[in-house]
Amino acid sequence: MSIDTGRQASRSVEQATPPWALAVKRNGSTFGLLSLALVLAMAFSAINPDSYATLLNVESIAFSIPEVGLMALAISVAMTIAGIDLSTVAVANLTAIFIAWYSRVGVEQGQGQLTATLIAVAGGLLIGVLCGLLNGLVIAKLKVAPILTTLATMQIFTGVAVAITRGEAAYGVTDPLSSFGYNSLLGVPIVFWLFGVVVVAVWLLMTKTKYGVSSTMMGASRTAAEYSGIAYTWVVTRTYVLAGLISAVAGLVLVSRTASASAGYGSSYLMLAITIAVLGGANPFGGRVAVVGAALAAIVLQLIASGLNMMGVSTYIYQIVQGLILVGVFVVAFERKRVSEAISRRRRRANAQTSQTNQQKEHQK
Amino acid sequence: MPLALQAKGITKTYGGVKALTEVDIDVRAGEVMCLAGANGSGKSTLIKIISGVETADAGHIEMDGVDVGRPSVTDSIDLGIQVIYQDMSLFPNLTVAENIAMSARVKARSKVVRVQAARSIAARVVERLGLQLSLDEKVENISVADRQLVAICRALALDVKVLFMDEPTTALTWREIDSLSRVVEQLKADGVAIVFVSHKTEEVFMMSDRITVLRNGAVVKSGAAAEFTPDTLIESLLGYLPSEERQLSALPVEDKAPALEVHEIGRNDLFEGVSFEVGAGEIVGLTGLLGSGRSEIAESIFGILPIDTGEIRVAGQAKPIGSVQEGIEAGIGYVPEDRLTQGVILEQSIESNLIAASLDKVSGRGGFLDSGQMARASQHAVEKLGIKTDNPANPVSSLSGGNQQRVVLGKWMETEPSVLILNGPTVGVDAGSKAVILDILRLTAEQGTGILMISDDVPELVSVCHRVLFVRRGRMDGALEMDEVSPERIRERLDR
Repeated sequence: MSIDTGRQASRSVEQATPPWALAVKRNGSTFGLLSLALVLAMAFSAINPDSYATLLNVESIAFSIPEVGLMALAISVAMTIAGIDLSTVAVANLTAIFIAWYSRVGVEQGQGQLTATLIAVAGGLLIGVLCGLLNGLVIAKLKVAPILTTLATMQIFTGVAVAITRGEAAYGVTDPLSSFGYNSLLGVPIVFWLFGVVVVAVWLLMTKTKYGVSSTMMGASRTAAEYSGIAYTWVVTRTYVLAGLISAVAGLVLVSRTASASAGYGSSYLMLAITIAVLGGANPFGGRVAVVGAALAAIVLQLIASGLNMMGVSTYIYQIVQGLILVGVFVVAFERKRVSEAISRRRRRANAQTSQTNQQKEHQK
Repeated sequence: MPLALQAKGITKTYGGVKALTEVDIDVRAGEVMCLAGANGSGKSTLIKIISGVETADAGHIEMDGVDVGRPSVTDSIDLGIQVIYQDMSLFPNLTVAENIAMSARVKARSKVVRVQAARSIAARVVERLGLQLSLDEKVENISVADRQLVAICRALALDVKVLFMDEPTTALTWREIDSLSRVVEQLKADGVAIVFVSHKTEEVFMMSDRITVLRNGAVVKSGAAAEFTPDTLIESLLGYLPSEERQLSALPVEDKAPALEVHEIGRNDLFEGVSFEVGAGEIVGLTGLLGSGRSEIAESIFGILPIDTGEIRVAGQAKPIGSVQEGIEAGIGYVPEDRLTQGVILEQSIESNLIAASLDKVSGRGGFLDSGQMARASQHAVEKLGIKTDNPANPVSSLSGGNQQRVVLGKWMETEPSVLILNGPTVGVDAGSKAVILDILRLTAEQGTGILMISDDVPELVSVCHRVLFVRRGRMDGALEMDEVSPERIRERLDR
């Protein structure tokens, strides 16, 4: 008879789960999105065999993904800490306007193409960082709700962009930027390569670093994270800076691809980006990293957009489809949670029962 | 006295596991029947079946000798069965009166909210029980003890015949428990049958006329309270008898600087002039009534509510602690009062929770985490604390309360603190897990950590603490040294 019985009993409760089953279970939404993308691609190819499954169309889809995919990534990152970044499109536009403006001014002032490009890009990314810093500090220090903060800064950034450009579009980028925006490498658009690199980098940052784990925990439970010594201001500020930086990269892609920038560009992108982030597995209530998911969801939605477009479906219908997808994702996510909760409740009860029986046996010895 | 409620042959199976096996219980009008059982013994399932939240696979229920089959939730409310759950299910943003009148209003299917009607219903119930409750105060502003009373009043606003109280005393100090027991006496006199669910043995004896013990989903013993002694009750709860006597960990032989010294610390309106020390390897209890400032003192030392005045020294060195980060750097660990919101992150993995406070330790260059070291750290904690899991990647929500608390302990063990502060470390934990947790504390102290344990569980304080300190109205109020510590003396001090 000793108080150690509980501890001994605990060791005897072991049921192994095969590693492949765990991998599928943990990455369920990723596998789901991947198969959804394949099914969509095959379905649209079957409907439109002459135009959908052509190299040209695949390339055009690949060109269209990075901008909105990066914006969705910025939102997804903010959602990890139970926040949101509505200013992502505005930041991207501001960056794009700066790059277009400096491309002209830099070259006019006699800088070489390469120098002007480097300064334009560095300045553009810095704008993204500063915008994110503003978001982060207002949210963390002044404790304004993220949705209100970024709604306000979205209007501020857009207003600044309108004021600078007087509402007109800024045209032209440097030669290196336009070839970056138009050319392909190994059959894949360079902007898509960049998208891939950013996705991998953000994934590493969110899952393999102290910052990433801290922000996930902060998103899941702010109180418990703070009681564990995770600094709220530090995590929140860094997260919005990261979101701002990703938005600026989106701006870089859009200005390189279209060789123009304006304050009102891509106004429909915001809702699309939120849809992608949620479809990708981000939880608006925080605590979930969905970087790869966001990338796959961007691909899925662009496959749908392109497919519907070829079938001659109007863009209004596409908007309705987007809305349905958003609602559908929420319904599926919440139902799945309910089912998995019921299962885990049962399993917990079962465990409690076995451990008690074990305790009893232990005692009888 | 007539039987108010009988449950006969209740059986419930969840996915092949029997949660309840042919359970028979009964309760008479005007008596308190205690339903005792450790966590996972099936108490909650039984209550849910009687109140209609879940449906039994077999068995039936009789009210006043009439077979009512397996009632639904509305059936059971109509029959006069009311349950006060642990969380009390009150509306924090409504007033006391509105909360009390809520279920009566729902039952009457009234669609219009009338403030005066609510107030008069509430006033009637409050008067009947002879309570002092301010009816117009919002529930979020009243104490936990008063919330409990509001929940009771709400049940009584309807015509209640059988009242289930699911661990009503978890969050109460024993003085508040005393006033709760007076209300219970009043209800008994009114002929209400009361089923009191608890695993705290002291209250079971204080409150109940009869005791029914559930273990592993079956009734193992049932009889008048007088037939039980604390030892036989615990033995039938657990199936064995854990030792509750004073079992002190060995104090270190060599002279070391005290793990924690606080000198004249204070924080505006919460406490002032607080001084004490905790030696390396020593376990010191800190107790006082709810609201005495005991939790605030702990949170101040850890850095959540930084001190305004005074000095904190850890392992002999003065440490300015202005934030949790500085508290952790100084070598302090804190197991908080509210495990579910402050202690663990339920939906995150056991592993993430275990390393949450020592991220710097497991991360290498550029802030990248060392996955090997993370796995080693969490595996080490799982083994050392006997956390029952088949995979540390599972979420903490998959664990029982006792195991969740071990995860919180493990998180702080990983930081290798000089001082470990625990606030109610075994609240809501069953007796078996409690013994294991106390044993872990003894081992930790023997390795040189100073432990400050805030608790109002008297047997627990007696069992592990070398010394016990008292707080009253934000000031230190004496201490019991080594041999002076006994249950009687602690109670006497608290009662003053």
